[in-house]
Amino acid sequence: MRKNKAMIFWFCLPALLCLLIMFVYPVLRTVLMSFFKVESVTAGLSDWEFYGIGNYSKIFGSESFLTSMRNVMLIWIVGGVITLALSLLMAVIITSGIRGKNFFRAAIYMPNIISAVALATMWIQYIFNYDFGLLNEVVKLFGGDKVKWLGTDMKFWAMTAAFIFGSVGYYMLIYISGIEAIPQDFYEAATLDGANKFQQFTRMTLPLMKGVLKTSITFWSINTTTFFLWTKMFSPIDTEGSTIVPVVYLYDIVFGGKGVTTRDAGAGAAVGVVLTLIIVVVYAVTNRLFKNSDLEY
Amino acid sequence: MKKKIFSLLLVSALSLSVLAGCGSEPANSSQPADDSQSGAQSEQSEQPEQSQEPADDSQSAGGKQYEGVELTMWSMWTSAEPQAQVIQEAAAAFEEQTGAKITIEWKGRDINTVLSASLEAGDKFDIYEDDYKRIAQIYADYTLDLTDMAKAVNYDSFSYPCLNNQVIEWVGHLNSIVEQPQVGGIFYDKDAFANAGVSAEPKTWAEFLDACQKIKDSGVGPIAQDDAYCDFAFYHQLVRHLGEEKIGELSMNGGWTGSAAETAAQEIIDLVNNGYFADGVPDAFPSSENKIGFGQAAMIVCANYVTAEVNNNTGTEVNWGLFNYPAVDGGVENSAAYAGANSLAITSYSQNPQAAFDFIMLLTTGEFDQKMADTAKQIPADTRNTAPAVLNGTVETLLAADAPMSWCGGLYENADLKSEIKDRCMKLFEGKFATGADFCKSMDELY
Repeated sequence: MRKNKAMIFWFCLPALLCLLIMFVYPVLRTVLMSFFKVESVTAGLSDWEFYGIGNYSKIFGSESFLTSMRNVMLIWIVGGVITLALSLLMAVIITSGIRGKNFFRAAIYMPNIISAVALATMWIQYIFNYDFGLLNEVVKLFGGDKVKWLGTDMKFWAMTAAFIFGSVGYYMLIYISGIEAIPQDFYEAATLDGANKFQQFTRMTLPLMKGVLKTSITFWSINTTTFFLWTKMFSPIDTEGSTIVPVVYLYDIVFGGKGVTTRDAGAGAAVGVVLTLIIVVVYAVTNRLFKNSDLEY
Repeated sequence: MKKKIFSLLLVSALSLSVLAGCGSEPANSSQPADDSQSGAQSEQSEQPEQSQEPADDSQSAGGKQYEGVELTMWSMWTSAEPQAQVIQEAAAAFEEQTGAKITIEWKGRDINTVLSASLEAGDKFDIYEDDYKRIAQIYADYTLDLTDMAKAVNYDSFSYPCLNNQVIEWVGHLNSIVEQPQVGGIFYDKDAFANAGVSAEPKTWAEFLDACQKIKDSGVGPIAQDDAYCDFAFYHQLVRHLGEEKIGELSMNGGWTGSAAETAAQEIIDLVNNGYFADGVPDAFPSSENKIGFGQAAMIVCANYVTAEVNNNTGTEVNWGLFNYPAVDGGVENSAAYAGANSLAITSYSQNPQAAFDFIMLLTTGEFDQKMADTAKQIPADTRNTAPAVLNGTVETLLAADAPMSWCGGLYENADLKSEIKDRCMKLFEGKFATGADFCKSMDELY
């Protein structure tokens, strides 16, 4: 069939317009805004005052922003290692032919279908609660003193633990699909050749899942960079230093907060640009580390 | 050729469907969105069918006052909240009385994230609700001056002077009408105080410490404090010693060390060391405040909504009382009390400002204000009304207040450091600082 280029253009136009108006324009405006002193997100260009790299200097000189970056890096690295390792472990166990595979898969994935708000409430009010929480009941059972799981020292890790609990199922499903895509013949052949389960996992499963691992790391990076709801749930009335993350910092400086009426959309835009650059860098590094597999199956 | 025409038709249909998808639901849609699915929904106020009939009759007989007028209100509540129910009823009554049509959009608490952009864009709405400080300091350019309209109804005679004066001080004129006044201080369980032998409300820091000791001796944790409000509680102590203006200076530039903030922090540390806080303080909100309902704590520094929260959360009817934060020795601001409000305002570009104002008056005075106070357990906006039992004395406290203290205003003048400052306040209540000087040193490290 002859290609009709004009027709292709017309069919693409609605989507292209949507992309330009709803994605490209806001991105360009945000990047531009990050170099201006702007109070309101929707302020007209006439109200913008050129500020050079002032917004970037401001955020990188802000103790709150630096704390938020430290927090999100910890979630990304520590939470990432635990979440992805647990997910992979669960996926390997579930695909190893255990009985009740469907039940375990559904049970582990279940936190993903529960609202994160409900999940966080459960952790805060029923598990970490100082007086009658599950953890302190266990501590008391062993004769220990009650622990303030949600004190300033522990709150960040309590939040990260709850977040990991809610995330494992999602990555487990990704890994399960990756493992199930590997032909069983390979494992049968390896078994005949005398490879044990651990060797099969390290020498076959992992190398053949490079692409899946790359995808999961990228997803995890995006999820942690845009971390917002869990912080809001663990510091419900107003933002706290122990749980602050960059998106919440951005939200606060752009919209103000309880008792605060100062706003700085320019600095908020700078935070947005920095976060985007971080995701791009992580993606590029991940791509470099996990080059496309030269193995085919 | 036929193919081309057919393809063009397809493209047109696709474009139209995309545009239609982007369009918003008609404002007068009679299909309310499911609130559980969306925090910000559009819903027409439901008017009983019976009340629509007389409107038509009267129109034929000459028309009602606002026949044909359409008002849109953006509310900070969600449709399931008690405040929303009263607003719905007031809207229905206003429609019945005046013939106007009111559309209410329930935006929820995050209304502040859309208001600024919507006002700048001139979105079509007449009335909106938000914190009165934000209305005064952020949206003032797009908000109507209500001075003359308020004068015409003698608004001063049944409202709170401290709140009106505060708005006028911020903006230069009155640009909002109080819907939900708030007052802060120490809310306490009268029964717990009586059982401990505390017969009078403490007025000074020494009396306060004495009351704490008696309550502790009676086996009840004297003070409850949730982590979420540690900053608000400590702010009271700071205001007593420094005043709001000085706190603002310290917040912006540092210099906490060597200031009276050291004394303020030390006094909190002493409360911790003396065991005057209930077990677990500062607890995760609302665990600590609930302890008052469970009889494990006697008082809390908070705003008036804590009373309804505790009663609802614990299923009890605490015998609430309120006293102002105690005066401290050598204090510079020993009488200030927190007062604030969620208020109603009219957009500067509203086509029907008088109708909007009249509706606001109907909602915030008389029968509907009383209903709002009783249903939502809040302080009445109309001073001629009566506060619900759990808020006894709050109207008088607000009326007597001359200059309201803001919600941590001075402390958070440096909005950028807000979260870090709050963290240090929480640590103070956790007993993480050995002395007030240590606390101030930690604060100065932020600059």
